[in-house]
Amino acid sequence: MIKKFNIILLLFLSVSFLFSDVSAQETVKNAPTQEVAEELDIKELILDHLADTYEWHLFTWNEESYTIHLPVILYSKTYGWNVFSSSKLEHVKSLDNHFYIASEGDYAGKIVERNMLDEEVRPLDLSLTKNAASLLISSFLLIVIILSMAKRYRNGSLDGEKGFTGGMEFLIYAITNQIIKPSIGKEYKKFAPYVLTLFFFILFNNLLGLVPIFPGGANVTGNIAVTMVLALFTFIIVNFAGSKHYYKDLFWPDVPVFLKAPFPLMQIIELVGTITKPFALMIRLFANITAGHSILLGLTSLVFITVSLGPAINGGMTAVSVLFNLFIFFLEILVAFIQAYIFTLLTSVFIGMARPPELVKKQKVESN
Amino acid sequence: MSSSLLTPDPGLVFWMIIAFGLVLFILAKFGFPVILEKLDSRKKFIDESVVAAKQAYDKLEHVQEKNRLLIEEAKREKSQIIADAAKQRDLILEKAKEKAIEEANHIVSNARKQIIQEREEAIIAIRREIAVVSVDIAEKVLRKNLKEKEDQMSMIERLVEEINLS
Amino acid sequence: MLLSVLLQAANTTDYSSIGIAFAIAITVIGAGLGISKIASSAMESMARQPEVAPDLRMSMIIAAAFIEGVALFAIVVSGFIL
Repeated sequence: MIKKFNIILLLFLSVSFLFSDVSAQETVKNAPTQEVAEELDIKELILDHLADTYEWHLFTWNEESYTIHLPVILYSKTYGWNVFSSSKLEHVKSLDNHFYIASEGDYAGKIVERNMLDEEVRPLDLSLTKNAASLLISSFLLIVIILSMAKRYRNGSLDGEKGFTGGMEFLIYAITNQIIKPSIGKEYKKFAPYVLTLFFFILFNNLLGLVPIFPGGANVTGNIAVTMVLALFTFIIVNFAGSKHYYKDLFWPDVPVFLKAPFPLMQIIELVGTITKPFALMIRLFANITAGHSILLGLTSLVFITVSLGPAINGGMTAVSVLFNLFIFFLEILVAFIQAYIFTLLTSVFIGMARPPELVKKQKVESN
Repeated sequence: MSSSLLTPDPGLVFWMIIAFGLVLFILAKFGFPVILEKLDSRKKFIDESVVAAKQAYDKLEHVQEKNRLLIEEAKREKSQIIADAAKQRDLILEKAKEKAIEEANHIVSNARKQIIQEREEAIIAIRREIAVVSVDIAEKVLRKNLKEKEDQMSMIERLVEEINLS
Repeated sequence: MLLSVLLQAANTTDYSSIGIAFAIAITVIGAGLGISKIASSAMESMARQPEVAPDLRMSMIIAAAFIEGVALFAIVVSGFIL
């Protein structure tokens, strides 16, 4: 099996050099300006949609773009607190403000200012960007939905619920019984609210990110800052809920002494493990959602790439693009659920690992 | 390409902490505990009802079983009573027959005894009559023929034999 | 002839992008192999014992998501950093 793989690899490598040969010639011979420009356009378009912007572009109708200009809140060392609408940023270096959006360099796309030494620095940027605004909207919606559910449950009747409430109830029950109780054990009531909030927050934002119109469409969970905060919360809660047994395993594990004493090898490994676990959570969620959005955007821009190639090919590619988009859309909905589920599952597993083992002992898993 | 995608923006971190912290605080205090408690109580209620229903079902089965047994017992007794009654009737009939036969025999034997007795009485009466008649005959004969002794002796012997024979 | 073409290619091609493409391709191959291994063993077990199929299905999806996470790790690093 390995021999076969070697042969295939060798063949592939040899053939690939031939191909690189040919393409190099082509790029030297004809300088494709339009192709390169359009390609860069698509890349920039995708990166633009994935990144965070200062205004919310709703749509463009008849060459007029309708955007919501979100407030920009800055604190700079030279100019103090500034709050203004992002429409003012469209004019570079207007008289009023000293802030402008840098077009290239390290801070491309972000607000910079020129300080005393005439270099471009970033002020403390607390503006309500698209992602922040979307976060606030989705948090508000989530709170409204769950609190209305809770209010319905306060009247004390034990009947079953129908419709949306029943669906949410099913989700809550399934997560409590299949993720939280088996991993955390007897004290699950203490940690269940955090884990459930985490699940519904991630799920809600994932699903909202797939909706193309306002208030969805912002790539919230595909932003590293958002997932970093989620992983940070998990890290804090896991380590603050750690029992003595957990810390003992961290700093003086049950291994032979030569791995612990002169050079704290096990300690370093365990500490790195404590950090990499939430780090992996963060990267996993971020990469999955970003990859999904990039694929969706790429397939959609497939239509615009082939515009110049005539109406027939364009029509065909539109059909292909729409079909693929549909398929990838459903896949992304599945990925939204799965990523929320995995984040929650791993969080509860980490919390369970931090609690004393006799409380976590394998309980009989009740059926649904 | 762009490492701006991988560097967290501090402003967004700030807003995210605010948003998530708010959501977490509100939902962990007012949202999920209520829902979880209600789910728990409903589950307990359902479990209890299931247990109670099972118990009621068992009891019902038990009672039904008892009923069935009672009915069977009653049926059995009924048939037994009928059989007993039939046997009794047969017995009584037989006894009555025997008694009747006995009575008949008794009557017949009584009648026989009476007949024998009357026959005896009749024979005695006849003997008496014969004695009287024979005495009369003897008188007559004696009156007539005391002369011829041997003829008369033989005749008397012949008469006595005849009387003995009858 | 080949040498001159190769030198010209070395001047103009962006070898880092070929490196990135290789990194991503090998990562995806690794992820594909891993997930197919999971799926094949899950299929075998489900065929052998159909009543555990629901549990296996959930575990299979979770394991596949872990492998995808590692693969996307590499794609993110190579695609966006390099």
